[in-house]
Amino acid sequence: MIEVRGEDLPQLFSSCILALFSLLVDRRTVREAEARSAEVTGDTLEEKLFSLLREAFLLFAAHQFLARTAHVTIEGKRVVLTVSGEPLDSSRHTVIREIKAVTAHALVVERSPGGYLARFIVDV
Amino acid sequence: MRFQEVEIRKLSETTWEIPRKNGMRVPGLIFASEKMMEDIARDEAIRQVMNVAHLPGILKYSIGMPDIHWGYGFPIGGVAAMDAREGVVSPGGVGYDINCGVRLLRSELTAEALRPKLRELISALHREVPSGVGSTGFIRLTAQDEEKVLTEGSRWAASRGLASAEDIACTESGGKLPGADPDAVSAVAKKRGRDQLGTLGSGNHFLEIDEVTEVFDEEAARAFGLFPGQATVLIHSGSRGLGYQVCDDYLVTMADYMRRNKIDLPDRQLACAHIRSPEGKRYLSALAAAANYAFANRQILAHQARETFLRFLGMGPNDLGMRLVYDCGHNNAKFEEHEVNGEKRSVLVHRKGATRCFPAGNPEIPQSYRHVGQPVLIPGDMGNASYVLAGSPEAMRSSFGSTCHGAGRKMSRTQARGSVRGKSIIQEMEKRGVIVACASHKTLAEEIPEAYKDVSEVVGVVHDAGIARRVARLRPVAVVKG
Repeated sequence: MIEVRGEDLPQLFSSCILALFSLLVDRRTVREAEARSAEVTGDTLEEKLFSLLREAFLLFAAHQFLARTAHVTIEGKRVVLTVSGEPLDSSRHTVIREIKAVTAHALVVERSPGGYLARFIVDV
Repeated sequence: MRFQEVEIRKLSETTWEIPRKNGMRVPGLIFASEKMMEDIARDEAIRQVMNVAHLPGILKYSIGMPDIHWGYGFPIGGVAAMDAREGVVSPGGVGYDINCGVRLLRSELTAEALRPKLRELISALHREVPSGVGSTGFIRLTAQDEEKVLTEGSRWAASRGLASAEDIACTESGGKLPGADPDAVSAVAKKRGRDQLGTLGSGNHFLEIDEVTEVFDEEAARAFGLFPGQATVLIHSGSRGLGYQVCDDYLVTMADYMRRNKIDLPDRQLACAHIRSPEGKRYLSALAAAANYAFANRQILAHQARETFLRFLGMGPNDLGMRLVYDCGHNNAKFEEHEVNGEKRSVLVHRKGATRCFPAGNPEIPQSYRHVGQPVLIPGDMGNASYVLAGSPEAMRSSFGSTCHGAGRKMSRTQARGSVRGKSIIQEMEKRGVIVACASHKTLAEEIPEAYKDVSEVVGVVHDAGIARRVARLRPVAVVKG
């Protein structure tokens, strides 16, 4: 179970994305060479976060792209993610674990003292 | 026995009934000893058995095996049979690793004869059989080849000289599920699978050399070609990234279907669609394709293992005699005929962490085993034992022809890692007489024997309950962990 805190929702969501990539690789080894973006929609905060995490994971699973930084904007139902990073280079990056998928199991986004809190589980 | 607000009724020494409550359409049924039930009641698995009982079209019981533990939506170690006309199919009822399963190869060698060369042999297997995070296979599939793998399964491997006719005959469903449609598999899923055919993966996947330490049923052991002291090879793997992505894709499709059709269930991960809906049919076509990929994957792993044995030992195939005993999946959904309330019905049996277990006489069983029942392969942990069981008639009466699939976790991966801090797992395993080669020490720490329930106890329950019978026990002597 991954637990993430943020002062506001964009910061919370971008920290969730970075937490996901930190499960895959030591992000300090990732260069900010190029940007990728993804856009999702969702009615609830949980739907938004789940869809965003799925899209972010697909950047790696389908395109072998690793993110060093992440920026999120939220407008109504729409969430836009921009990550900066580079494609996996096995001479410099060691993938730490095999992630099967991001799950919706027990995923929550809620208010907490000082901002927001999210919890999610990835299947490994 | 109580689980939160629920009074669980003991039906026998090995069976427990969870009564229908609220929206449950059927009761729950758990196979376990009293001691195991106390452990099972400590996590969310019982709640998940109850949640599964809410699914439209579920028949008789939502079932839990003695190796049950919590999963995403459905518990791992769960069985749910749905009416083929009115019921639903749920990707969560199969799991992310579609048709993850086990295959057992026997040999003409004894473990004793291998012992002096075991360290080098397991190193060779570790080198030749790709394992670990991000590993890729020696096969580079073109897009066309991959489509053939998805439709033909192990038979594609046979067309490339990587499987024999006997391999195909001794694989569940002949290594090919019907109805597979590559078009139902997303481009992303295909991309994830393209370079991974013939790879073990990581996590709890393994290849191990075992010794047959005890035979319980001589007739069945003889039919399966097993004898005491024999060296065997057990392989545990699945459909790799392709299967994970199929599950992920269709969980989203089905969440949308549920919204549109106003199906309300207690857990999002139970997302489902009616079997006869376009969404349900498409998932079943993708499921069959991913299952076929898994059959082909294990076939190629077995081929690599066989070739490595032959090269390393400098033996001919007849002297080595490394032949497939059986290959069975434990994450699947299959259409089968079962008797429900005295009537033969076509049902879709979801098995998530449960193994098909057909009794003697069933035409789905290879001819040479038909008089003793289907071989059922139950991997335990890397330090203790694995089992070979055989199907029995009681499984058809009480568990939709299903039994357990393994030891079942009792520690989370994080707990397991925490419990071994500072210890050398490889040395600990050597003290137990098991040589370990691994791709990742972190993964190895997650797979310590203490992280699992006692597989002998699990197997004891299914044997006593009559939903499988013990044939032989295997002890690991050398292990490749992904």
